[in-house]
Parts: sequence; C-alpha cells; structure tokens
Amino acid sequence: MSLMSVRDLSVVYASKGAERVYAVKDVSFDLQPGEFVGLVGESGSGKSTLGFALTRLSKPPAMIGGGSILFDGVDIAEMDPKAVRVQRQGGFAMVLQSGMNALNPVRSIRNHFFDIFEAHGHVAKRDREARAQELAGKVELPGSVLDRFPGELSGGMRQRVSIALALSLEPRLMVFDEPTTALDVLVQHAVMDTIRELQKSMGFTAVLISHDLGIVLEVTERVMVMHEGQIVEDASSADILNAPQHEYTRMLLSHYGDPRAEVVEVPGLASRGSLRASVVEPVEPVEPVETIELAPTPAPTHAPARTREGRAAHQAIVVSGVSKLYPRPSRADQPVLAVDDVSFTLEPGASMALVGASGSGKSTIAKMITGIEHPTSGTITFGDLQIDKVKRRGLKSLHREVQMVFQDPYAALNPLHTVEYTLTRPVVNYSGLRGRDARRRVLELLETVGLTPVEQFAARLPHQLSGGQRQRVVIARALASDPQVIIADEPVSMLDVSLRAGLLALLEGLRETWGVSMLYITHDLLSARLVTDQIMVLNKGAVVESGNTASVLQNPQHDYTVRLLDAIPNPGRRTPGGSA
Amino acid sequence: MTSTNTSTALANRGVPAEIDGPANPLRVVWRAIATIWSVPKARIGVVLLGAFIALAVFAPLIAPYSATDNSFGRSEDMSAAHWLGTTAAGQDVLSQIIWGARVSVFVGFAAGIFATLIAVLVGLSWGYIRTVAGDVINFVVNLFLVIPALPLMIVIAAYLQNGGIGMIILVVVITGWASGARVLRSQTQSLRSRDFVTAAVFSGESPGRVVFREILPNMTSLIVTNFFAAATAAILAEAGLEFLGLGDTTIVSWGTMLFWAQNSNALLTGQWIVLFAPGLCISLLATSLSLINFGVDGLSNPRLREGASR
Repeated sequence: MSLMSVRDLSVVYASKGAERVYAVKDVSFDLQPGEFVGLVGESGSGKSTLGFALTRLSKPPAMIGGGSILFDGVDIAEMDPKAVRVQRQGGFAMVLQSGMNALNPVRSIRNHFFDIFEAHGHVAKRDREARAQELAGKVELPGSVLDRFPGELSGGMRQRVSIALALSLEPRLMVFDEPTTALDVLVQHAVMDTIRELQKSMGFTAVLISHDLGIVLEVTERVMVMHEGQIVEDASSADILNAPQHEYTRMLLSHYGDPRAEVVEVPGLASRGSLRASVVEPVEPVEPVETIELAPTPAPTHAPARTREGRAAHQAIVVSGVSKLYPRPSRADQPVLAVDDVSFTLEPGASMALVGASGSGKSTIAKMITGIEHPTSGTITFGDLQIDKVKRRGLKSLHREVQMVFQDPYAALNPLHTVEYTLTRPVVNYSGLRGRDARRRVLELLETVGLTPVEQFAARLPHQLSGGQRQRVVIARALASDPQVIIADEPVSMLDVSLRAGLLALLEGLRETWGVSMLYITHDLLSARLVTDQIMVLNKGAVVESGNTASVLQNPQHDYTVRLLDAIPNPGRRTPGGSA
Repeated sequence: MTSTNTSTALANRGVPAEIDGPANPLRVVWRAIATIWSVPKARIGVVLLGAFIALAVFAPLIAPYSATDNSFGRSEDMSAAHWLGTTAAGQDVLSQIIWGARVSVFVGFAAGIFATLIAVLVGLSWGYIRTVAGDVINFVVNLFLVIPALPLMIVIAAYLQNGGIGMIILVVVITGWASGARVLRSQTQSLRSRDFVTAAVFSGESPGRVVFREILPNMTSLIVTNFFAAATAAILAEAGLEFLGLGDTTIVSWGTMLFWAQNSNALLTGQWIVLFAPGLCISLLATSLSLINFGVDGLSNPRLREGASR
C-alpha cells in the first residue's frame, strides 16, 4: 500500500481582483514507503506549490482547488487545520530553502527543539536533552551546537538544524524544497549527502524538490518532471537519464555536461574544443602562488579587438600583487583578508574565468577592477589609468570602458524605471546622443540582445519582464557605452537551466562581434568551460591554479579545483549512495 | 561619435523611423490616488481633508459673516442667526471657524512641504555620501533632535516677535525637519547598496542623479508619509503657538480663537462651544492626515494593499 496517494490534485491561486490561476493542474501520483522521489521543474512550474499542498502548508491566496491527497488512507486535502496539526507528528514535514533563515535569532538551538517537543508533548521532559542531542547527531552536528544561537552558525549548519527540527516529529514523509540552493557549492554537496544518508538509515519517504535535474538524478530513485503545473514524466531515475520520453525532460537533460570532457556542448553554444589554444601551459600546483603571469595566449583565442574611434584601443587590464584587507567586523574578530596577492592580465579581446566558492574573493576582485573598492596594496592599471587610485572623475571614464553585468537580474534594474529609461541613461552619458538619436540607439541595443519587438520592450517596467529578459536588459545596459571590458559576475546563476545557455551564447556572441574582453566570475565550472579560454581558480583570496580553461579543467592539479569539479551536479554520475 | 561603428554593424533592422516620447507620468499619479482611495480609512481621511480644503478655499462664499465683524451681541448663545453663537468680542464663531481653516490648512501644507523638502535634501545626500561631511551633518541633526521642540519653538517665536504666519511656518520648519531627515537617511543607506544603484553609477550617472532619480522614487511612500506627519505636527504647533499668544493675535485662526476664548474665560461663561469647535477642527484636520497615511503605506507595500481589502 502506498504511503501517499494523490489524485487529480489542483492548486489554485485566487487573489482578489485577479483571475484564478491554476499552479498545479490535475496531478496524480503515488509515493511508496521508503521511496526517495525527485520533483523537478523550472521556476513557475508549480513544484513548490505542490510541495506545500502535500504538507498542507499552502497559504492564501493559494488553495487546494480539487482532488484528494490520501496520506496513509486518510484524505488530508479537506482536513481542518487542527486535525492536520495532530497528523504532523509521525506524519509529514517540510524543509524549506529559506529554512535556515527561519530560526529565531534570539533563541538558542536547544530552545527550538524544546519548543517542538512542548507543542506536541511526545517527548518526556527528562528525555528532551538526550533527544535533542540525538537529532543534532543525526544531521552530523556536534552536541555543543544546542547552546548556540542561529547567528553563530554558518548557512550549512543552520540548514542542518532545520532538517533536524523537521525530523524531530519522526515524520514518515519529508518534503525537501530546494534544501541546498541557498548554500555555497561545496556545502551543498555535503548537506545533500547527509539528507541521502538520513533517508537510507531512517527509511522515511522523501520528496526532493529542485530546479536542478542533475542533483535530483544523483540522489533519487524516481523522478517526476513538472512543467506548467502538470507532471509530464514520471519514471525511474535511470529511465529519465537514459530514455527520457518527454521533450521537456530531454531539453532539461541536454543542458548538462561534464566540464572535464574533451568536447563540451550544450544547445545553442558551440563547443570549445579541448585545446583551442594549441599550447598547454604547464601548471604548477604551488600554494600560495606568489605571482601568476598568465602566458600571453595565442592570437586565435582572441576576438579581434576592435578599435573604437576617438579612444585608445588595445588596452589590457593589468592586476599586479593586489590584496584587499577588510577591517575586522567587530572587536572579537580578525581583519578579513579577502584577496591575497593576486596578479593577472586580462588581454584585449580575451575571455577569462575567475572561479571559486563563495568567500573566495572573486567578487571583491571585480569591485576593485571596476573602481568601486580600492585595493589595500598592489596596483591595477587599464592603459594609462590607475584604477587603484581612481577618483570620482576618473570613475566615469573608467566605466566607459569597463562595464559590469550583475548577478541578480531582479535587483539590478530599478523597479520604477522603464527599460527605455534604464538604457537611455548610459547612452546619453557616454555617447552624447540626445533625443531621437539616443532612442534609436536604445532600440538597437534591445535588438542586439534579442528583445524584439523592441518598441514593446522599451516601454516595459522590470516587473513585466521574466528573469531571462531582465538579464538581457542588464547586458544591453552594459553594452550601451560600447565598452572594451565586461565583468560578468555570475550572470546566469539566478536563471533557469534552459535559459542559461541562451544568455551565455548571447554574451559569447556579443563578445566576439563587439570585440570586448570578458572577465567571467562564477562558481559554475561548466559555464566557465563553455565561454572562456583562460581560467583562474581562487581559494580564500589566493589564486591556486590558472591557465587554459580546457586544460585546467581536464587536468586539475590543485585539490580545491578537484573539489569544485566534484561539486557539479552531473546526471550521468550516479554516486554509490543512490541506488542505480 | 563612438557609436558609428556599432550602428553600422547593427544596421537598422526592426527599428522604426517614427519614435514617440516617453509614457505619461499622470497615470502614475492617478494610480497612486486610486490606491489610497481603496483603503477605507484613507478614504475617510481624504473626504475630511477635502472638506477642510473646500472650507478654506471657499470661505468668502460659505461664511455667513465676516470673521472680523464685531458688530454682534457679545457672548451670545447658539441661535438661528449665529449657529455657534458669538465670541466675547461680538464676532460670529461659525464664520471664524470657516475663515480660520485657511490659516490652519495653509500653515499645515506650507510648513509640511518645506520641512519635507529639507528632510529629503539633507536625508538623501547624507545617506548617500560616505565622507567626513556625513559626521558633520550627523552632529547638526542630532542637535536639532535633542533640543525639545516646544521650548525651542517658544524661544524662536518670542525672538521673532509678531512675524505673522510666515514666522510660524519658519519656526515649525526649523524644529520639524530633523526627524524626517534621519528616517530618510537610513532608508537611503539601505537602498544605496542595491545593485541598481551601483548599476546607475556604471551608467555614468552623477551622484545627484543617482540620489534623486534612482533612490528617491523608491522611497516615495516614505516621503509622503513624512509629509503628512510634518503637516500634522505643523498644524498642532501653529495652534499651540497661537494659543500661547506667540503668533499674530490679530489674524483669525483656530489657534487665536482658542487664545481669545481662554482670555475671556469662555468656559466660565458657559460658552464651551467657542473652545470646543476650534479644538475639534484642529484634531479632525490632524486625524484626516493620519488616516490618509494608512493608504500611503499601501503605495509601496502590495502586501498591505491585499491585507486591507480582507
């Protein structure tokens, strides 16, 4: 008998004055006891809405619009909230993406556990301490963590605490909604391992909701693919991987690849052969690396650097011996060395990747190159311009040549300005065009980034655009000054997998036609492999490895690079824990 | 021109020859009014405020007599000829209330606008800069915050003897801008670190434009709230100063009505209405502004908008 049986379930968003929107439409499936099932879909597919409905956590304006959810033979779809609350013990629990931020900052971790024990009264008072210790142990946290407050724990530890809290009611069904998405790449991997081991040892049924088919295929036995509120495919993980039936599943799968392979290809992006630069630079795994002089790359790797009329051309960004020391955040802490003696040269027309986990200092380097922050020591030059000493006046002339594409397309556009206004400003400021000429230029930019019909897009406000469209506007804005260098700070990490390739292809194409050099900052080695020729791997502010992208990734020398490579979700690689 | 290269490279496909101007800003204003109107509390406030403004604007048409006409019987009770009776000096109370609305509404709005203007200018630039000048502004603002407002007002008003309405507005503005500046500064500081502000710097915008075109529009509701709070404070301060006899006692306003009523012991003579009517009007006008504030909250926070309709 199945643990949960969902029949024709619909979830509807009914807010006042708006049309009813079906986020989940007539979904039916069964969950067997002890099964580990993945629920995959892109943003807006209704996967989280379904997860909330399964655990009866839907909040208005979302509500169950029809169908039944049989949990252990009882229909919980129509149950009143009080009865559901009793059901939760030994029933169903949910771990949220933001669960780690849901802990009360002024209560110790111990109190969080005790609150739950108190509410359900299922643990005798004298056993509480032992039970809390046991739960902490289950998620691989030391017992001392119970004395701590949420603010003293790292993101990964807090997410572990929220998993332990969910476990405290001994649920038979656990729904994990993107449990690792907000965490650092390397931590993600460790937390996922814990979840998998818990599921094996405790034998609960688990549903893993994720946008990342790679992660899901690695750990689950069965995968349900969701698209526009419906489950379009429901099959074992092996079948999904080897014989995907639905077009949508095939499309999702096609966007995965192994950056270590000889030839890497995703739809829309031409492959970069293993060694476009015919010479492989020998890489010396020395740590810490004193100075890394990237050997001048052979000409074919560069897009032809275009001369811009009336401006100096062919300028390289030269970073030499740069360090950045942030003052200590509070008296008790040590000053933070964000960047430690980094040197490199970004040649005109080149594309270079700067990779590392969060906190590796890659964004700080971007800030220093763009003059937003000044280095503590070392120099950065761009032609005659001393970027490390630039003042407000010089900043404008620097930004004419060095532009930035931001990570979060939702934060990088002023919500109150139309696309046209956003793009007109740099055009007016840098090209001196006015009135109709400026507008014509704006429309051309929109066309360049593929937002057509241009007239319609020009008039839109950011909230009327999808994430991918917003990021295109951000790219258009960066191009408006006709810069020589673009710093792209994780430009696709906030976007759906299917959109990433398109945007990367756009960036790559523009880089070549416009003759721009690009510093591509990312933690995602696959995309680094696809769009860059050179790579620098950063760990704790220092460069640990650098050279030709393909050769570094195929032949990583440093342990840290290997760990980053291992953290990439790869549907083809079934870890021993997952039952293949 | 820098763009010649790219322009030719991109050609003109799809870019129409005829190009229109930008969208109409009036629609934005209209939407804001509709949002405020959709909140029941704010609707009451708007109606009340509208009534007071109408009273002030059309005072010559509405008022049965001149406010300064003292040819009637002294301290008369309510009657058909004098709905609210007459004052100890023989003026019609209703006419005084109607004419007095002019001063209160005018002082409220004028002082509110000036205080908000200073608060915006100081608060936004103070929040955006990261230099030593910030500490200097900090000191000045703290100075104004720490001095108790009413004594300061009394001192300044006594110093600028009988300056009339202009003096009262000046006093209210001087004592009222600092708290608004501090609130707007902290919001500016939080908006300053947002990506779109950095992006505007990358677009080559001057600091002034970044502050007033990128940051300022994102705090409209806070500024409007600040305006209503300042206007409320100004109306109360004006009434208070005049009640204390620190304004020009020859003009007719709700504050001076209270002043004269108190002077002539209106309560002892049973003329409670002479004290009650201007007092009620002052509090109603202040209430109307506070009620509108509930609607303003919804301008920037869609969640409150939904909550209010439930």
